[in-house]
Amino acid sequence: MNKNRVSEEERARALKPTKKPEVIQRQRLPVRYHVEDYDVADRPRRFLEAFAVILRHSNYRFALEHFIRMSAKCSRCSVQCQVYLASGDLKDIPCYRSELLLGVYRRHFTMGGMLKGRVLGDSGLTDEMIEEIAESFWNCTACRRCSMECPAGIDHGLITHLGRYILSEIGIAPRALVVSVREQLEGKTGNTSAIPVPALLDTLEFLQDDMRETKGVEIKFPLDVEGCDYVFFPAVSDYLMEADTLMGIAAVFAATGDSWTTGTGYFDGINYGLFYSDRMLERIVKKVHAEAARLKGKNILIGECGHASRSAKYFVPTYCGGERALPVINIMEYTLQVLREGRLKLDPNIVTEKVAYHDPCNIARQGWIIDQPREILKAFCKNYIEMEPHGENNICCGGGGGTVSIDEIRPYRTTIAGKVKAEQIRASGCNYLVAPCANCKKQLRELVEDQKIDCEVVGLHDLIYKAIKFDKKQQKK
Amino acid sequence: MPIFEQGEVKINVDEDGFMEEPDQWNEKVALALASTEGVDNLTENHWKVVNYLREYYQKYGIAPMIRKLCKETGFSLKEIYDMFPSGPAKGACKVAGLAKPTGCV
Repeated sequence: MNKNRVSEEERARALKPTKKPEVIQRQRLPVRYHVEDYDVADRPRRFLEAFAVILRHSNYRFALEHFIRMSAKCSRCSVQCQVYLASGDLKDIPCYRSELLLGVYRRHFTMGGMLKGRVLGDSGLTDEMIEEIAESFWNCTACRRCSMECPAGIDHGLITHLGRYILSEIGIAPRALVVSVREQLEGKTGNTSAIPVPALLDTLEFLQDDMRETKGVEIKFPLDVEGCDYVFFPAVSDYLMEADTLMGIAAVFAATGDSWTTGTGYFDGINYGLFYSDRMLERIVKKVHAEAARLKGKNILIGECGHASRSAKYFVPTYCGGERALPVINIMEYTLQVLREGRLKLDPNIVTEKVAYHDPCNIARQGWIIDQPREILKAFCKNYIEMEPHGENNICCGGGGGTVSIDEIRPYRTTIAGKVKAEQIRASGCNYLVAPCANCKKQLRELVEDQKIDCEVVGLHDLIYKAIKFDKKQQKK
Repeated sequence: MPIFEQGEVKINVDEDGFMEEPDQWNEKVALALASTEGVDNLTENHWKVVNYLREYYQKYGIAPMIRKLCKETGFSLKEIYDMFPSGPAKGACKVAGLAKPTGCV
């Protein structure tokens, strides 16, 4: 028996309806996430129209043509999926989920499918199928671990993204994400957490005071400085939640003296478009690049956030001028570089507790950032331990793909989606769980709370802030 | 839009029970909202947190950074969780009449 499988009681708790029956009836959506009211009439036709438009204006058709030929529905992905391992529900096997959308593509967008539909009298996409897609595609955390195992090379994460994109075009998307993106693109504050500039300034001043008191060093968050090496974009929620991460990053720059700045015109690295809409993805990425260009910065620096890093790293070149676009780096790449150069001194006697590192899927799955944070941690944490599996085969925190922002499905995230991760953390016996990602931090804190695991979830720069050493000259400042 | 009603209190809330119109907030509303958060009685300490959130919100239009909330009120994060079981962002802010936080919060 699989030790990660949830009990019937846990399953009932995780899948308990969150909405009133009249809302479900009005929106015709028996899903657990909240959705803003939308036009429910004629959904199959509108879904297919949206699908057709996306196919016309993108390269998804090439991928889908390949996938429908290669998909053998062999279910090898089932051994990788942390959702299926916990739920045991056959509908959570990645290639079952993908087939929901591939079947629609085959039936409505290939010659063979259309002919077969006519001959067999199959009327095609129905409301029930849309409801199943809407439910299934947000049970997936888009961690893409399944694609590591697929012998046919099918990217189920990409299919999840496409399915959510089509749904969002007909008005079906989690409200939590939609309202955040609306504020970011059209709201007064222009960021997902709705932080006005005066509040940002107050927060930075507070952090500067705190650093003066605790470290005895004058450490600044430079604002709107033109021509810096790095223009900084953290997950904007860090300005509400992650004091230590931000202070750690500011301290590293204070130690090295390199130039960096935050732009008051735009300071949010979050890009929920990556989770559900290419149209939003493009608009948000352009905001990041435009602000860095306005400040004549040399590099776009993303803070501790997996999806913010992936969306900028891989889509700034796509949407902002290819090779002419500004380079994107993650803060851990910078910190490792200055550590190797001997410009950052860390005291190896401060963090003596057991430290484990959680790989955020969005930076680890493709092999981009795996060794860098480990090299940093091992340089000053005496008691570093490794969880298995890790690196590009890591297990998702259970809140990936935007699901962490959907508070109403917390019981699902901490009971089913995060179950395998919870057992992995428990087995490691770590005191500090380092998760350099705003998304993972929120989910893992809720997970260790709900699963009653005794460990503290921190960012990588939180530990750096504890251990950083300044020379005498800097302390006098 | 759902309506939350308790005694004399009648306010518009979102699906998660956060106020839609924070201007309608008063102490009776706070007590009513607290009861939805498993807080039956607002002690002096509760009010200290709620009033600080309220003041900050009126000045800046958003909740303060959690670290600042702790420092200014003198409570540790754990003490705030003990007072408001859903935590500062979801519990204390709801009672203080702030809108539901968005983004990765």
